[in-house]
Amino acid sequence: MSGIPTQSSRRSFAWTIACAFSAAAFVSPAMAADGGSPIPDLGGQWGRDMLFFEPPPSGPGPIVNSVRKADGTVVLLNQCCGIVNPWAGNDTSPILKPEAAEAVRKYGELVSGGTVAQDLHNTCRPEPPPFVMALHFGVQILQRDDEVTLLYLLYNTVRHVRLNAPHPDNPAPSWQGHSVGRYEGDTLVVDTVGIKVAPVSTVDAFGTPHSPALHVVERYRLIDGEAAAEAQRKHGAIYRSNPAYGRGTIDPDTGKKGLQVEFTVEDPGVFTTPWSGRVTYRRLIGDWPEAVCAENPHFLGTDATIPTAQAPDF
Amino acid sequence: MHRRRYFGLAAILAVAATPAFGQAAGPSAGAAIPDFSGIWAHPSFPGFEPPASGPGPVVNTSRRPQGADVEGRTLPPTNSILVSNPARLVGDYTNPILKPRAAEAVKRHGQLELSGAGAPTPTIQCWPEPVPYIFNGVAMEMLQQPDKITFLYPNDHQARRVRMNQPHPAKVTPSWYGDSVGRYEGDTLVIDTVGVKIGPFPMVDFYGTPYTEALHVVERYRLLDFDVGKEGLERDVKENRRPPGGADAGSAPDYSYRGKLLQLQFTVEDEGVFTMPWTATITYRRGGEAWREVACAENTRELAIAGRAAAVPHADKPDF
Repeated sequence: MSGIPTQSSRRSFAWTIACAFSAAAFVSPAMAADGGSPIPDLGGQWGRDMLFFEPPPSGPGPIVNSVRKADGTVVLLNQCCGIVNPWAGNDTSPILKPEAAEAVRKYGELVSGGTVAQDLHNTCRPEPPPFVMALHFGVQILQRDDEVTLLYLLYNTVRHVRLNAPHPDNPAPSWQGHSVGRYEGDTLVVDTVGIKVAPVSTVDAFGTPHSPALHVVERYRLIDGEAAAEAQRKHGAIYRSNPAYGRGTIDPDTGKKGLQVEFTVEDPGVFTTPWSGRVTYRRLIGDWPEAVCAENPHFLGTDATIPTAQAPDF
Repeated sequence: MHRRRYFGLAAILAVAATPAFGQAAGPSAGAAIPDFSGIWAHPSFPGFEPPASGPGPVVNTSRRPQGADVEGRTLPPTNSILVSNPARLVGDYTNPILKPRAAEAVKRHGQLELSGAGAPTPTIQCWPEPVPYIFNGVAMEMLQQPDKITFLYPNDHQARRVRMNQPHPAKVTPSWYGDSVGRYEGDTLVIDTVGVKIGPFPMVDFYGTPYTEALHVVERYRLLDFDVGKEGLERDVKENRRPPGGADAGSAPDYSYRGKLLQLQFTVEDEGVFTMPWTATITYRRGGEAWREVACAENTRELAIAGRAAAVPHADKPDF
C-alpha cells in the first residue's frame, strides 16, 4: 500500500458496480458473487476469548500491550491478546506520529496507575472499526445480496456494510463510519471512512487516537479450523467451556472453518505509515449470549453510572 | 404451559424460508413466505396505535396539537387535532386493562411527569427496551432467514432474535428481550415472546405500565395494500404525535410510496398486572433513506433540555 488514497480513489476502491440485486435476498453460498465466483459463507456467530489485535504476517503492525520497567524501558508482551492488565500500549512504535505517541504514553501512564481511561467500549458508545474488533468477544454476520450486517456481542454495536456501492461524496461522520463492501473471490472486503472523532475515540484499547481521515479496510475470509484454533492459542486465547459474562462458547470442533479478518489502517493525521493487524474467530455454539452495556457487571461492580435525563427527550 | 404447546405444535422443520429463494414453501404447506425485509418507519410518538375495537393500551391524558398529518405535512401549531404530548407522559391510569397495582404505577409515573422532574424509562436511561415497549421505536429493520429472524432498531443499535419453528424451552432463562419463537401462518409472521427479564425500569410503554415475569406478547406481522393499511395510519395520527418536519432518527418514511404497508398487530397478556389481554398495532411505511444511528450515551437532547453533561457509564477498574 503506498500512501493514503484520496476520497475519490476510495470511492473507486469501493467499486461502483450497481448490481440490481433483490433488496431482500440472503446470500447462499451457492449463489454467484460476480462472474460466477462463489460467495463465501461467512454467516453465523463467531467468537474469540481474547482481546486486542493479532500481528500481521509481515509489515508494520498494531500497537501492542507492553510493560514499563522502572528505568523507563518498554518491554512488549509476548502474547498479543491474552486478557491481562494493565493495558499500556507501546508508545515507541514507529507507526505513531509524535502526537499520537504522546497520547498512547499518557494513556499507558493512566492505566498503569490504576485509572480506567474512558473509551468507546466502557462508555457504552457504538464502536467503529478497527476498535470494535479489539474488545468484542463475538460477532454475528448476516449476509444479504445488498448488505452485510455485523452485530457485535456487546449491546450498542451494529454495523451496516452496503455491498457493491460507492461511498457518498461527503459521508456525514458517524460513530461507525460509512462502510461499503464487495466480494473478491473467497474474501469479503469492507472499506470504511467517515468515522466520527469524539474525545473517547481511539483505534485500539491503548488510547491510540484517530483523525477524520481514518480509513480502514477489512478482509474477511474462512480459514482452516485448526489454523484458527492455533492462531487463537498462540496469541493468548483460553478455551472455556463455561465462558464469563458477555462471551459465547467457542465450538471446539476444529473441523469447522475459522474466520480471519486482516485489516489495514491508514490515517495520515496519526500514523507514519499504513499498518495491519489480524483478528481470528471460531464458531460459537448455543444461543447468542446477551451482553448489555448498562448492566455490565464489570462496570456495575465499580460504581458505574448510566446515562440519565432529568427531563423527557421529546 | 399452553404457550409452549402453542408453538410446539408448529415446530416443523424450516424450509428455505428466505425471499431469496422466491416463493419457497413455508410451514403452512405451500404458502409463500412474505418478504418483510428492508427498513420500516413509524415516526410517531409514543407509537402504539389503539386498536379499532377491543381493549387497548394505556394512552396519554396530556395532549397537544398534532405536528404533522398522515402524509407528513406539517400542520399549523394551533391545529385542533389533540394527540399525545411527548413532553408529558401521563398515562390514563383509569384504563380498565390495569389491575390496581399497575394503575398505581402509571399514576405515579404521570405525577412525576407532571411535576416536571421527568419519569425514568429504559430509553432515557440507556437500558434495553423489552417487547412491547421497543415497538415504540421510530424505525425497524427485519432480517429474515430460514431459521431465525433478526430485528434491528435504531435506538442504541438494539437487536432482537427470533428462532423460527421451534418451541420455547421448558424452562426459560429470563433475558432482556425474552425468548422469542416464530412461525409463518400464511401471509403472517407470528412471534411469541415470554421470559422477559424484569429490569430496573420495567415497563411495557412510556407511561410506566409495569409487567411481571408472566408477560406474554404475541406479534403478528403482515403486509397490507396501502388502501387497506391506511386505516392504521389514520388511527396512528389520531393518537400519536408526529413531529413537524419529520423524525430526526431512524429512517424517515417515503411518503410518496403507495406500495404495501407493514402492520404489526400485537397482543399483550400479563395476569400479574392486566385484567385482560389487550392489543395495539404499529403500521409501518417504507423507510425512505439510510439507517440513522442513535447512540444513547451521546444523548444530545438531554444536554439541550437539562443543560448539563450526560453521565455516561464508566468504570473505575479495568473491565477484564
